[in-house]
Amino acid sequence: MKPDELAHAAIMAALCAATAIIAVVVPFAAGLSVLGTVPMGLLAYRYRFRVLVAATVAGGTIAFLIAGFGGLMTVVNCAYIGGLVGIVKRRGRGLPTITVAALIAGAVFGVLGVGFLMVFYRIRELVFASITANMNGIAAVLERISGLESAAQRLRDDFATVLTFWPLLIIGSSILSIGSVTLIGWWALSRVLSRLSGVPDVHKLDSVDSSEPVGPVPARFHDVRFRYEGAAQDALGPVSLTIDEGEHVAVTGPNGSGKTTLMLVLSGREPTAGSVDRPGAVGLGKAGGTAVVMQHPESQVLGSRVADDVVFGLPPGTATDVDRLLAEVGLTGLAERDTGNLSGGELQRLAVAAALARQPSLLIADEVTSMVDQQGREGLIEVLSGLTKNRRMSLVHITHYNDEAASADRVIDLTGNGGSADNVEMVDTAPAPAATSAQVRRGGSPLLELKGVGHEYGLGTPWASTALQNVDLVVNEGDGVLIHGLNGSGKSTLAWIMAGLLVPTTGSCLLDGEPVSEQVGAVAISFQAARLQLMRGRVDMEIASAAGLDYYDHSQIVAALAMVGLDPAIGLRRIDQLSGGQMRRVVLAGLLARKPRVLILDEPLAGLDAASQRGLLGLLSALRRDAGLTVVVISHDFSGLEELCPRTLHLRDGGVMAAPTTAGGLA
Amino acid sequence: MTAPQRQPRPVVLLRPVPGRTAIHELWAGTKLLVVAVIGVLLTLYPGWIPIALVGAFVLITAKIAHIPRGVLPSVPRWLWFLLFLGALTASFAGGSPHLTVASVDFGLGGLLKFLQITVLSIVLLGLGGLVSWTTNVAEIAPAVSKIGRPLRVLRLPIDDYAVALALALRAFPMLIDEFRVLFAARKLRPRDPATTAKERHRRLNREIVDLLAAAVTVALRRADEMGDAITARGGAGQISALPSRPKWADAVAFAAVLVLCAVSVYVEVFTPLATS
Repeated sequence: MKPDELAHAAIMAALCAATAIIAVVVPFAAGLSVLGTVPMGLLAYRYRFRVLVAATVAGGTIAFLIAGFGGLMTVVNCAYIGGLVGIVKRRGRGLPTITVAALIAGAVFGVLGVGFLMVFYRIRELVFASITANMNGIAAVLERISGLESAAQRLRDDFATVLTFWPLLIIGSSILSIGSVTLIGWWALSRVLSRLSGVPDVHKLDSVDSSEPVGPVPARFHDVRFRYEGAAQDALGPVSLTIDEGEHVAVTGPNGSGKTTLMLVLSGREPTAGSVDRPGAVGLGKAGGTAVVMQHPESQVLGSRVADDVVFGLPPGTATDVDRLLAEVGLTGLAERDTGNLSGGELQRLAVAAALARQPSLLIADEVTSMVDQQGREGLIEVLSGLTKNRRMSLVHITHYNDEAASADRVIDLTGNGGSADNVEMVDTAPAPAATSAQVRRGGSPLLELKGVGHEYGLGTPWASTALQNVDLVVNEGDGVLIHGLNGSGKSTLAWIMAGLLVPTTGSCLLDGEPVSEQVGAVAISFQAARLQLMRGRVDMEIASAAGLDYYDHSQIVAALAMVGLDPAIGLRRIDQLSGGQMRRVVLAGLLARKPRVLILDEPLAGLDAASQRGLLGLLSALRRDAGLTVVVISHDFSGLEELCPRTLHLRDGGVMAAPTTAGGLA
Repeated sequence: MTAPQRQPRPVVLLRPVPGRTAIHELWAGTKLLVVAVIGVLLTLYPGWIPIALVGAFVLITAKIAHIPRGVLPSVPRWLWFLLFLGALTASFAGGSPHLTVASVDFGLGGLLKFLQITVLSIVLLGLGGLVSWTTNVAEIAPAVSKIGRPLRVLRLPIDDYAVALALALRAFPMLIDEFRVLFAARKLRPRDPATTAKERHRRLNREIVDLLAAAVTVALRRADEMGDAITARGGAGQISALPSRPKWADAVAFAAVLVLCAVSVYVEVFTPLATS
């Protein structure tokens, strides 16, 4: 199977397994299993049949490991029905076809079930005997009640009669259940497809099969331009440049200057105009070819164990010195660790090690530090800048941080090379602050009070782990508090507790003297993954739904957008067309329109470029100053947060490191 | 500090119990095969003696693997109630065998049937639990690839299945985290007003589509990124750095299971002790 098929099969399998497990494990959630048909349906709609089969095997195994045979059967059912729905959908057929298909599928499944129960007749007899006992017991109770004797006899006789015709019973109920689930699945898949208006595709790399010998460098670009299909302007170019053997080149430029597009052309995409000369094939991921490390740390890593990730995808039989590679990127001794517990910086270094396992001639690092904390960033840059000294390898490091480019032999600045800045609708700075009202609400009454808050995950199980202990904190009205800590310091847990989403195992978290967990929604929280907080398809609908506004009252939506510095015209944009910074602002618009008592921001700056960061910080500072908004920021970075958050609380290993400090006044 | 509040023990997903015991060291394929063999055995011969033998097998294995009682999630009260109700109605059914206590005759037949199916389910759940409590997630996919090797004769792409399984296991915790955020975000939003049953029905439909669309969008995005990462590594190939094969201990485990199966089948087929 091709890389994208494998990835989609795996993710949809995990999604279906998760639904199936919830349906089996969580009480009264069995109906949820119907929704597991949607990922499988989507898979059958888009890909070959074998992709669906692979997903069924993978999802079934996971569900079996967690929820036993019940989980396995739920996934198999979801795949059976989802596959049917997806294939009918792909053929462009409608409701009549799916209804007939559902009836046939139900009958087939029923016949298979009858066959199974005929082979395993002992278990059938046991189950039937057990149910009969329940029925007879109920009948025996009814008999004692005067007037119900005949009903008791009826129950006894009728149930026995029904059981003698058990094959018909099973086939009938199979047709009924499979039929109805298929129709619900059809409805859900149709609605989801129309909501997504087709299926968005954000994949970047394409594998090119070539029999040519591998030789990506030196690469010479002559007047290269690139335009995405359907776009009005070139995303890149014209550029002429050369990447020589063994050199370390940094590529800089603001968002939208074509940095990522340059990466695509370097890794084998054909330019729209101009030419690229190379001695051989690009050889993406091949020995001696081109290796690429991209932005999202979690998505780069493909193995569950560190050592497995290093070798993932190497041709069978290739011997690899995993320990040496890990040492080279500063992960000595971590070979046996689970990748799920690594920090962003460690994940990216692991991705570099996996790239090096292919002994590439060209390594492209595309904004690898943008989602990594300060400490991780420094470590990663150190690893990258050491690579070209010891290896015959060219390194192209694409970054929007100018300081990261310093260690390169040469810097290519793409500013002004065509393309279009994506942030045109964004107002860089918020409206001018009114200095007079600045101090009015400062030092107000206590709003959010945490007393001896501690939290332990998996309490009472062998996996118990303490995330927080003994945290005392008072957030006053109009305060700006930064909760700072590295990976695993418990800061996200604290954010969830403060928003009332998690009840602490010890201590209490009070808002206006009442437990905040009983007033969920009063404290607003903006999660790091802004996309997960946007549920509707379009910006204006999203804001109306999130804020509880009337969708037809546009003035309120316009006001909410204006509050976060967004142009009203963006209201008609689809959520999936927004940039990361815009998504975060739309989330804020929805949250702020409900006038929350406290606004918690979890890593608000992660993944934003420098300009968007400055814009967002300016906006939040102005809101705090002028509107008296109480802000709590959770972050692993300090930079630029001093004005927004005069107070800082340091978390380390779940505890508070020192007393909260209060900086004097506002900057 | 206040006393810890009583909270139900949660279900912990896909994480082995800490420790390296003989059971932890067994090849993952052995554990999967044992569960499959015993599953077939109990489906064919669900009698009391096979159930008891498998139950003892589960308990002994759990003992060797040092599995504490804390691994079991709390059983919610309503489940106890349902079990009690089932047992009660079944016991009213009577039937042989009969037990006479102080000249009062109890027919235990119905109750025994109910207990038999209940204990059978519990034993099977415990057996499946043993695999996930003692197996590192990273060992599953290589083992499946090895077990499935004979199926290549049928031209089934076993290696693709194994790669998809490895990737799904890698993605699973990330998706669960994203689900948690998704549900939390849902909880924080105001609900649309709805007064009539029709409006409530509409709202429910809308909420389901909202959640589904958000979940699917996130999953698609992740899948596209994962596909890029696989492409960047030149496609699929190896999935594990460590060898995955059975050792002597696995032969011992298999022998124990085979003896268990043989005794069970003998009892159920050739002796009057058969109860299935």
